[in-house]
Amino acid sequence: MNDYSITILTFIAIQAIVACGLNVIVGYAGQISLGHAAFFGIGAYSSALLTTKAGLTFWAALPLVILITGSIGLVLGMPSLRLREDFLAVTTIGINFIVESVFLYVPFFGGALGLGGIPSITFLGTRLRGPNFLYLCLVLLGLVLLISRRFTKSWAGLACFALREEETAASSMGVSPIRFKLLAFVLGTAMAGMGGALYAHLMRFISATDFGFPLSITLMSMVVLGGIGTLWGPVLGALILGVLPEVFRPLIDYRMLLNAAILLLMIRFQPAGLLGEGSFLRGLFQRKGGTSNG
Amino acid sequence: MDDVLLRLDRVSKHFGGLKAVDNVSFELAKGEILGLIGPNGAGKTTCFNLISGVYTPTSGAIYLEEKPTGGLPPYRMASLGVGRTFQVVKPFSTLSVVQNVMVALGLKRYGGVISSFAPWETKKSRKEAMTLLEEVGIAHLADTPSGQLPLGNQRRLELARALALMPGVLLLDETFSGLRHEEISLLSKLVLEVRNKGISVLLIEHNMKVAMGLSDRLVVLDHGRLLAEGKPEDIRSDPAVIEAYLGKGASANAS
Amino acid sequence: MQLFIEQLLNGVAMGAIYSLITLGLALVYGILRILHVAHAAVYTAGAYVGLYVFTLSGSLLLAVPAAMAVCAALGVAVERFVYTPLLRFPPFVPLIGSIAVFLAMEEVFRIVGGPYILSFPAELPFSGITIRGVVVSPAILSIYAVSAAVLLILWFIVTKTGLGLAMRATSQDRDIAGTMGINASFTISMTFVLGSAVAAIAGILVGIYYNQVYPTMGAVPAYKCLALIVVGGLGSLPGAVLASLLLGVGETLLIGYANIPLPRDSLAFIAMIAVLLWRPQGLLGGK
Repeated sequence: MNDYSITILTFIAIQAIVACGLNVIVGYAGQISLGHAAFFGIGAYSSALLTTKAGLTFWAALPLVILITGSIGLVLGMPSLRLREDFLAVTTIGINFIVESVFLYVPFFGGALGLGGIPSITFLGTRLRGPNFLYLCLVLLGLVLLISRRFTKSWAGLACFALREEETAASSMGVSPIRFKLLAFVLGTAMAGMGGALYAHLMRFISATDFGFPLSITLMSMVVLGGIGTLWGPVLGALILGVLPEVFRPLIDYRMLLNAAILLLMIRFQPAGLLGEGSFLRGLFQRKGGTSNG
Repeated sequence: MDDVLLRLDRVSKHFGGLKAVDNVSFELAKGEILGLIGPNGAGKTTCFNLISGVYTPTSGAIYLEEKPTGGLPPYRMASLGVGRTFQVVKPFSTLSVVQNVMVALGLKRYGGVISSFAPWETKKSRKEAMTLLEEVGIAHLADTPSGQLPLGNQRRLELARALALMPGVLLLDETFSGLRHEEISLLSKLVLEVRNKGISVLLIEHNMKVAMGLSDRLVVLDHGRLLAEGKPEDIRSDPAVIEAYLGKGASANAS
Repeated sequence: MQLFIEQLLNGVAMGAIYSLITLGLALVYGILRILHVAHAAVYTAGAYVGLYVFTLSGSLLLAVPAAMAVCAALGVAVERFVYTPLLRFPPFVPLIGSIAVFLAMEEVFRIVGGPYILSFPAELPFSGITIRGVVVSPAILSIYAVSAAVLLILWFIVTKTGLGLAMRATSQDRDIAGTMGINASFTISMTFVLGSAVAAIAGILVGIYYNQVYPTMGAVPAYKCLALIVVGGLGSLPGAVLASLLLGVGETLLIGYANIPLPRDSLAFIAMIAVLLWRPQGLLGGK
């Protein structure tokens, strides 16, 4: 594999991590979030600041980054306790715009110039780059998938499914909406934070516009495309949306149009996504006697 | 009166100007089946929502084993032993029937940080859920998505879920409506068995024959107010009750 | 003081334009409970079609109705082909569909109209006025006059006509309205016709006011106006107008006088979150 493909795959792995986080919030707990890029950004900025200004190593900063992003996720997830779906959707869009403008206008975060000089990651004394950086991303993606899977198999996960389907009934079965919605937000945003840290140290320079609302839409597209609430859906979605532009290089001018058209066609004709209940891919697998555990 | 399990003390619930429940008091004894009846819009389901914590009373107090419960949210009421079904069924549609019951089996685990991360799909929990599904007679549908069941089976699922909470008080909101005759007799038998285990049952029922047959006592609501209370045979002949159900002329004819 | 009054007049003009866009969103939300992000693309289409017809004919009197007609058709197309089939899904499904339509249309504008800013060199047939040293430009005058007329006509349609009655009934309960002999699907389409035609007018006004038409001119209104219908109370038309006017004035004064390190486009969202915390049903919303 050449350097270029490795870079593309690294980006895809990072976006898959962040999309998995969004899937916990949207797919498992049924809370709409259209501002997930904000948490990706919070992760990236925290890691950048902790390593440049506080002098920590990436490894020392990572747990703190996850903690910081998860805590902010806890606070910003609170509107989900009071708001109906539509209000929540607009509020999360608003959170994205506000977080982006804080990065852009507050000098502490580098302002319009962004943050540079972010150190690369070293492991056992060597700088991680190229394929090694990709391996790190894949290991962390594996970890995120493992946690997601474990979550869906836990009582907490079942509680979230119940809340997603019928909040009043779930509550009458002993499920606290506050506790489990916020749990999903913390888990999902912490994953976004982890992805953000990787991104910051891959790029070594970040600026506010990297984490704008369009990225939130792309992340949501990945989850929808792959299959909301399925384990591998976000990964498949990230892979497809990441590889497509490369395949269609000659059509670079129509790339965004293509992305939007795919999203529109998916949501219009296959809202459960490629791996979701009743999708044509699933039908294909099931007819061939494959498993149906998405 | 140490055998009183649930007590409503002058409870009111107002929505704007509408007094959905107006100054209602009654008691439910341990191991009693109490029928809550009344015409449409009498405030029966509102009563259930007040007892189960979905609504907070505008005034008055509700006591469970003599402890006030006003303002506690539904998930706290569930852990205090109030299990309920819904008149407008609320299945967790994309979850299978057996998974629906398991949600309720998790009641004891949702409170703890460690216990809520234990796996839910164990042999033990599935067996417990299957036992309940057999009791209500839908075990053969265990792995069907609950949203695809016909209404009658969804009502039975509601009952199984409520029983899975191992409640001290079981609130049944028109659980028998829309069921066939033999289904009703199966579930009635189940409700009597449940009562024999010492669980109190409060049921809303439109089918008078079922309500009169099952209940030890009846409470009649009309326009949010308590109209009558007593044994089924007394209620049957109470002129005020007949009037509420059939209109003014009917009571004149009856008396 | 003169400057302040001029700022204020600009702010009200901005608010009037917001209200023309937001009204369409509020109408659609009222009747379908859908957050119609693609409405901002319809507005951009209005500016482009208006500019195109104006360039060909040199007449605003032709450009405006042409843009209104094209936008009305666009709006109905989005309703028929995207929203109606998705109504049975949870609300975020049509919302994502709407965002996809919006992004796709933005790309179409870029590919067809070019990625650059076009100017809209319309000469208005009247001059500005000066009252006690306060200058009111012809563009601002036309915004006032046109918005006032549009708001009046909309108010008349919604409250006094059979269509308005059908719209209100359908927004209460589609099925019951159907049993009362109201053709719900026709009423819904007419709602999109109205909202989209008004958005076309807004697009042309903005094009002339800033002398700019460009593919992403809808990007900011797309989401900001969602915040506005939330602030106004979802589905409330007077609330949408009030919130728009307050925001227009607030933003203009914020830039002119306050020294806050936040861009003006965040103000709508901050206001929205504040309103949601204080009054979750919005300024003029019911329960």
